[in-house]
Amino acid sequence: MPQIPIIMPQLGESIAEAKVVNFLVKPGDTVEADQDLIEVETNKATMAVTSPCRGRLEKLTAQMKESYPVGAVLGQIEATQEEAVRLGLDVLPPVKASDTDRLAKSDANGGKNRVQPTVRGLPVPANAAGASYLSPRLKARMHELGLSAADLAGIAGSGAAGRVTVEDFEKFITQIEKHRTSEASMMRVTVADAMRRSWTRPIAHVGLPVRLDPLFAYRKIARPKPGPALCALRALAVALAENSAPAGRLVGSKIVHPSSIDIAFAVESEDGVFVPVIRDADKRSLKDLIAPYNELVELARARKLPPDATGGSIATVTNFGTFGLEWATPIPLPEQALVLGLGAARHRPHWDGVKGQFVPVMEANMTLSFDHRVLDGGAAGRLLQHVSDLMAHPEQL
Amino acid sequence: MLETVLEPGTADPAASFHERQRAAYRFMLLARLLDDKFAALYRAGKIHGGVFLGRGQEALSAALGVSLKKGDVFAPLIRDAAGRLAFGEPVLDTVRTHLGSPLGPMRGRDGNVHRGKPREGYFPMISHLGAMISVVNGALFARRLKGVTGMVGAASVGDGATSTGSFHEALNQAAIEKLPLVLVVANNHYAYSTPNERQFACRDLADKALGYGVEVQTVDGTDLSACLNVVGSAVGMARAGRGPQLVIATLLRLCGHGEHDDAGYVDPKLKKSPLGRDCLKVAEEQLLRLGRADAAQLAVWRNEAIHEIEEAVARVQREPAPDPFAEEWRAISSKQLSEGHE
Amino acid sequence: MSITYLEAIREAQAHALRDDPRVFIYGQDVGAFGGAFKATKNLAKEFPGRVLDSPISEDAMIGLAVGAAIEGLRPIIEMQFADFSTTGFNQIVNQAATLFWRTNVPCPITVRLPVGGTPGSGPFHSQSMESVYAHYPGLIVLTPATVEDAYSMLLEAVAIDDPVIFCEHKFLYYHLKAETLPSEALPVGKARIAREGRDMTIVAHSAMVQDALAAAAELSPEGWEVEVVDLRSVKPLDTDTVMASVARTGRLLCVGESWPWGGVTAEVIARVTSEGYDLLDAPPQRLNARDTPVPYHPNLWTAHRPTTRSIAAAARNLLRL
Repeated sequence: MPQIPIIMPQLGESIAEAKVVNFLVKPGDTVEADQDLIEVETNKATMAVTSPCRGRLEKLTAQMKESYPVGAVLGQIEATQEEAVRLGLDVLPPVKASDTDRLAKSDANGGKNRVQPTVRGLPVPANAAGASYLSPRLKARMHELGLSAADLAGIAGSGAAGRVTVEDFEKFITQIEKHRTSEASMMRVTVADAMRRSWTRPIAHVGLPVRLDPLFAYRKIARPKPGPALCALRALAVALAENSAPAGRLVGSKIVHPSSIDIAFAVESEDGVFVPVIRDADKRSLKDLIAPYNELVELARARKLPPDATGGSIATVTNFGTFGLEWATPIPLPEQALVLGLGAARHRPHWDGVKGQFVPVMEANMTLSFDHRVLDGGAAGRLLQHVSDLMAHPEQL
Repeated sequence: MLETVLEPGTADPAASFHERQRAAYRFMLLARLLDDKFAALYRAGKIHGGVFLGRGQEALSAALGVSLKKGDVFAPLIRDAAGRLAFGEPVLDTVRTHLGSPLGPMRGRDGNVHRGKPREGYFPMISHLGAMISVVNGALFARRLKGVTGMVGAASVGDGATSTGSFHEALNQAAIEKLPLVLVVANNHYAYSTPNERQFACRDLADKALGYGVEVQTVDGTDLSACLNVVGSAVGMARAGRGPQLVIATLLRLCGHGEHDDAGYVDPKLKKSPLGRDCLKVAEEQLLRLGRADAAQLAVWRNEAIHEIEEAVARVQREPAPDPFAEEWRAISSKQLSEGHE
Repeated sequence: MSITYLEAIREAQAHALRDDPRVFIYGQDVGAFGGAFKATKNLAKEFPGRVLDSPISEDAMIGLAVGAAIEGLRPIIEMQFADFSTTGFNQIVNQAATLFWRTNVPCPITVRLPVGGTPGSGPFHSQSMESVYAHYPGLIVLTPATVEDAYSMLLEAVAIDDPVIFCEHKFLYYHLKAETLPSEALPVGKARIAREGRDMTIVAHSAMVQDALAAAAELSPEGWEVEVVDLRSVKPLDTDTVMASVARTGRLLCVGESWPWGGVTAEVIARVTSEGYDLLDAPPQRLNARDTPVPYHPNLWTAHRPTTRSIAAAARNLLRL
């Protein structure tokens, strides 16, 4: 009757050994395939070593409280020949010099001798431990296709510790190609890359409703007329001019303070967004910003922004209200820590304590997305409140 | 020039003894002056690596060189400047090899005494002493297989080489095959700094001949006439099919093992004995005494030799050094089998 | 008709002696006795004066070969065992291998080495010397793994103008048989795809090719198709074929019967890693003999060297990475 060894299995990524803490069976017991035999403890959990087959537990060679490495023999099960063959399990082989007698023919493919296979079922962590392991070949293929690690999310890995092998990857690509695809534009690819890079930071959001009635009243008499986004931009500039810390940039363990209050604003185009910059937005009044703002909007829509009109800004303002949205959580540009967002203006009932009734007001949600490494909720909230307060007096901006 | 007068490499053993003596002397003189020149260049820092001179051993070496003829093969060793010239090596080849010129026979890939032209029967030594003897055996063996007769293969070694396994194997092999090998052992009593009593235990190196089953002669290596007689006869016997001929010559090296060495270990008593006499002077005296040359002739020969050497050195010093970027870095002749890997 | 690896070698030598009067064979016991392994049986009789017994002097044997080669002959030197070639090592690596480089005169000698272990052969009758010789510039090192290659590569070795170290595996001498001798062959310097595969590449040479093929056969029913590359010549090493194979499979296991340090396996992996790094989907692996002299007892001997079983195990490990 063949002796089937009970082997310490691979109990998890980077587990190299486990300690025997309990025997659940004793020699002489009949056991079923996959039955729990021995409880072992790793540095992560207590797990059970199961029986490789049906049979009689011949002996347990493992000792209580002793640690054994993955692959160590812990005991033997006596099984029937059919059981052993059915499961393709190994019997511990004596070393035979006749192993080499297999060289009967030049074309050894036609050899009739069947050799007992070695122990199965053990994935080996070896030097490729970790699901995030990208082999040189995989990296080269990804580079060829213009992909990054972010694109691998969601691909099932069949390699050691669940890593994505080149075969897995190629299967994925073939699958993709079965669907209808369209070319992503240069703009799309660029934005994708910027967003991916930005997202490496912990981004958080706060928001509050801001009253727009003072702005609409001001617009009735002002010439030229400032839009809500520009108003918000100017308010943000004033607030940051007083305290620029929220727009600081974390580099390592240093906070880099902005040297000028340059604020960008989002202009939507065909397949992406342009972000022209108002330089020194704190140094000019709202009235004086209208013309340059409008000009930049025109240039952006015509895709004719000069190179010095973008880049180098410390925050961005985006008016997602123009899409009819009331709420959004934009992602800051990779080099910035703040995005101020303005939603669509709506009539809302507001309780007027003096009059003792609800009165209609124009409100929009204003959100602030920020790099949580630089700014906490409280400071973010205070900035937002300050901007809101400033927008209540547009004639002073 | 020297070449036309002496017709190197065609020294006919049938020519009179006197002619061979005069020819041998002139090669000795040329070799001595060449060695002096190399020593000077070495001290001036103009030579890369080592310089090894044959000062004191010219008589033996020249005697061997003039006893060989075109078609023979010769594997000279370290102290064979004279023999090489006598066998036909141009002065330019020697100078070029010492100065590392890419125009020399070794093209800068090997230097100083490691030089030769195998296809012309002139084998370049490798540094492992004794290793060239079996190569000479091979050439002799091959000629015999090809049906060529009447040739001789000569190899030079020193007392140190007689201790090597290669010497033993090769001499044994030559004896078994009864090859026309002339093995000239220059026993200059020191292998680098190692004296004979630490090199071999037999009474005399000549005693080894019995062990190998070969014929042997001994000779005073400082005496040109004696060398011409003995070496000439050994060559003749080998050529006549009597099997390997061993010649054991005794002499003294009159320089360091290399020019980096001052030979301070040489026993002063030896230096003062007849063994320590300068074979060049001895040869001069012999020629003068026997009327085969006069002082004026000697002076003319000397000047011609100096002139030839100076011209060669001046010419070679103007030649460019090997260019590593022009080198074909390939060690096998089969281009298609050569790998480009670094 | 069936011809063994050893007979193929004899046939090749007979062929060479017959066709080229410059060829002669020199070695211990090669004459009337026909050689320790009978590789020259009857050749001395058929070619009188050209198959000669040498004394036990490996140094002088090689030196003689070099001298003969300078004179235009094509000597075949039979070493009785590869292990004994070390006493002629100096003449091989410092005389024969440097002649062309130093003098521009080629050295067309062929040195036949019976290499490799057989059960009970022990430390001094089992060595595979190929990496030691391959290390020295100026030598060509051949390692035929099949009867056909033993024949055609020996013929080509004699025709090559450079010193060839011809490593004939002793175990294959009588165990490997073929139906006929080939009329054409891959040239020296080209590796052979001994078995096409998809999931990984095993690079092997000499007898290990047979073990690698057996391991591949073992893995096939498990769903793995292993490609086996027979290097055929260790120097020059056909990097292109190896690289193309790794380009197909992404995984490399090198197997060698010799020792690990600086072996053929190390050389192949060095090349693939430095020139084909981006082809690898997993770290390349190697399997060699243990770093000890070759043991005598068959139990120790089989545990000392790669076997079909250990190759298959190593392959499975690699497939799971």
